[in-house]
Amino acid sequence: MKKLDRRDFLKTAGGAIALGGLGFPFILQAGKTKARVVVIGAGYGGAIAAKYIRMADPDIEVTLIEKDKRYVSCPLSNEVLSGERDVKSLTFGFSGLTGHGIKVVNDLVTEIDPVKKIIKTKSGQNFSFDKAVVSPGVAFKWNEIKGYDEAASKILPHAWKAGEQTVLLRKQLLSMKDGGKVYILAPPNPFRCPPGPYERAAQIALYLKHHKPKSKVIILDAKDKFSKAKLFKQGWQQHYGDMIEWVAGAAGGIVESVNPKARTMQGQVEEYKGDVINVIPAQKAGAIAFATGLTNEKGWCPVNQETFESTIHKDIYVIGDSCIAGSMPKSGYAANSQGKVCAANIIAAVNGGEVPEPSYVNTCYSIIAPKHGISVAKVYKLKEGKIKGIKGSGGLSPLFASPLTREMEASYAIGWFKNVTADMFT
Amino acid sequence: MRIKKITCLGIFAVGLFLTSSILTAKPRTPEMLSNTCAGCHGTNGASAAGPMPIIGGMSKRYLSQTLKDYKSGKRPSTIMGRIARGYSDLELEAIASFMASQPWVKAKVKTNGKMVKEGAKLHAKQCETCHENNGANTGELPKLSGQYPDYLFGQLRLFHEIGGSLPQPTQMRKRIQKLSAEELDALSHFYASQK
Ligand SMILES: Cc1cc2nc3c(=O)[nH]c(=O)nc-3n(C[C@H](O)[C@H](O)[C@H](O)COP(=O)(O)OP(=O)(O)OC[C@H]3O[C@@H](n4cnc5c(N)ncnc54)[C@H](O)[C@@H]3O)c2cc1C
Ligand code: HEC
Repeated sequence: MKKLDRRDFLKTAGGAIALGGLGFPFILQAGKTKARVVVIGAGYGGAIAAKYIRMADPDIEVTLIEKDKRYVSCPLSNEVLSGERDVKSLTFGFSGLTGHGIKVVNDLVTEIDPVKKIIKTKSGQNFSFDKAVVSPGVAFKWNEIKGYDEAASKILPHAWKAGEQTVLLRKQLLSMKDGGKVYILAPPNPFRCPPGPYERAAQIALYLKHHKPKSKVIILDAKDKFSKAKLFKQGWQQHYGDMIEWVAGAAGGIVESVNPKARTMQGQVEEYKGDVINVIPAQKAGAIAFATGLTNEKGWCPVNQETFESTIHKDIYVIGDSCIAGSMPKSGYAANSQGKVCAANIIAAVNGGEVPEPSYVNTCYSIIAPKHGISVAKVYKLKEGKIKGIKGSGGLSPLFASPLTREMEASYAIGWFKNVTADMFT
Repeated sequence: MRIKKITCLGIFAVGLFLTSSILTAKPRTPEMLSNTCAGCHGTNGASAAGPMPIIGGMSKRYLSQTLKDYKSGKRPSTIMGRIARGYSDLELEAIASFMASQPWVKAKVKTNGKMVKEGAKLHAKQCETCHENNGANTGELPKLSGQYPDYLFGQLRLFHEIGGSLPQPTQMRKRIQKLSAEELDALSHFYASQK
């Protein structure tokens, strides 16, 4: 074990204070800092990249910058809408991460200088880095549906970032009259959590079935197809009869403009009027990715899919929803898996090792009713520079399955959530 | 493909660790492969909550056999078959070795005292002959002691429901099928209460 000199000690002291008197094995281990890594965003991708770098190599200094004091998980947030859980059960602090010796900074990153390798924040802090990991999630394309901007989202919530928005949508459902119409505007591809809007329809119907049974849930879709469609339609019918209606894009589902005050929507064919309207806008990479010039003409970040290093800026890695990851969907599990591949690459780059051959997994559970879960999964590999699903792996839950299987999948969905968040935050 | 697989087997017969995926040029390291399991089974297989089973610290023999049984469909599963089919047999061996070398971190749950007692009796009568040492002995067997009770109960219900083929011995299935849901639940609580 190396003795700490004064400078090393001062360097780690910041982290130590945040730990508030717990044991800090990392201080004892910390020799010379080999490299400084700054991770932006403590969500499904960022928290994992930060933790797995520290787990494998405590001599790498890791700073994690997150704009929010706490992280609120989108996965399982649809259950807030049915009343099955509250937002508190989805909220996580960062003390587990500081326990790994990660310096967690609560600030908004406003600028990344890819040449000088400096990150600047809203409160005026500067962080220099050897490697940066960017995992900011998605941003919305406001006004792609005319009239739907950030101000409009205070009236017609998107609830596609969990927290206040989820609570607002829940409140609107609570105050709606029986017999009301709930509209969900499902976005065009690509967007985070492809099965999410359809799980949401089920969770809203679960609430309505018990409290406002004359009401309807209508999905106006920008698309003509959606994820796990047969399984969803079967589950909707089984639990909610005709309460849920899905309108494909080609059948009039595409909405061109909204009037938030009047609660009306102009479709390509007809006008709709709703009591509660949930607009899930079209999406693009997080704002910081645009500000740094990490995006392509489509608004997402091209990366080397083996390492997640940006193909535009060296030493900056993009993971999670913002990056283009071959056949992987934009999901929490995908972001987790990418965070680990990225971490292994950064460790190899810092220590001069070989680039490890990547392995990735995605799984998305959806809960249609308390005892009815379904899933989609896939194992991926790198093939000719692109992330491709491995033939024969993964796929959907069977269309015909016993009630016990559906019940088990619903409980595994919750077990998944507990483990994936423990993987991130403990 | 078949031929390549055989070559692989030959080359890496000694160091299964360095097993090359059949489909990729470089080997996927055991860590790289095993980290993909953590989203469901917890960091290093130490599940933080049921019903996801703890897998870190089980025996290598049990793990690799089970993963292969999932892959072939011999063992029924809701999702493990779909996952296991994403790895070559040699990769599954490497994952099994990695998970087996992790510490077993017992389930963090409160168990119901009455059920534990009832379960202890049932265990002694029905299961101890094979699942020795209150289900702690592993090897070709799963580690039951200290496992999450909701996971065990789910599996037992499944074995109770399925009449068809299972990799487990017929003896076990017959015994399970004679027990009621309450008894199976009690057994699960008993195992969870052990280390
Ligand atoms: C309703 C819903 C349900 C879902 N259900 C599932 C599910 O069941 N399973 C699943 O796998 N996925 C699910 N998802 C998808 C999942 O939430 C995302 O794919 C995942 O969060 C992506 O991870 P990320 O790291 O890219 O972004 P995020 O998890 O969104 O993390 C980004 C973080 O970066 C921070 N940040 C952004 N910009 C800055 C900045 N400039 N400075 C500092 N901090 C910044 C943000 O505050 C945020 O904390 C769901 C999504 C929704 C909306
Ligand atoms: C999407 C979630 C998910 C992923 C990813 C996953 N598992 Fe599982 N695992 C489960 C579930 C659920 C079960 C219970 C069986 C079932 O219904 O599929 C299980 C059961 C198991 C068991 C049986 C435990 C016992 O006591 O018999 C083993 C072993 C296992 N998994 C190993 C793995 C390994 C190794 C990986 C990574 C290669 C992995 N799992 C990835 C969800 C997952």
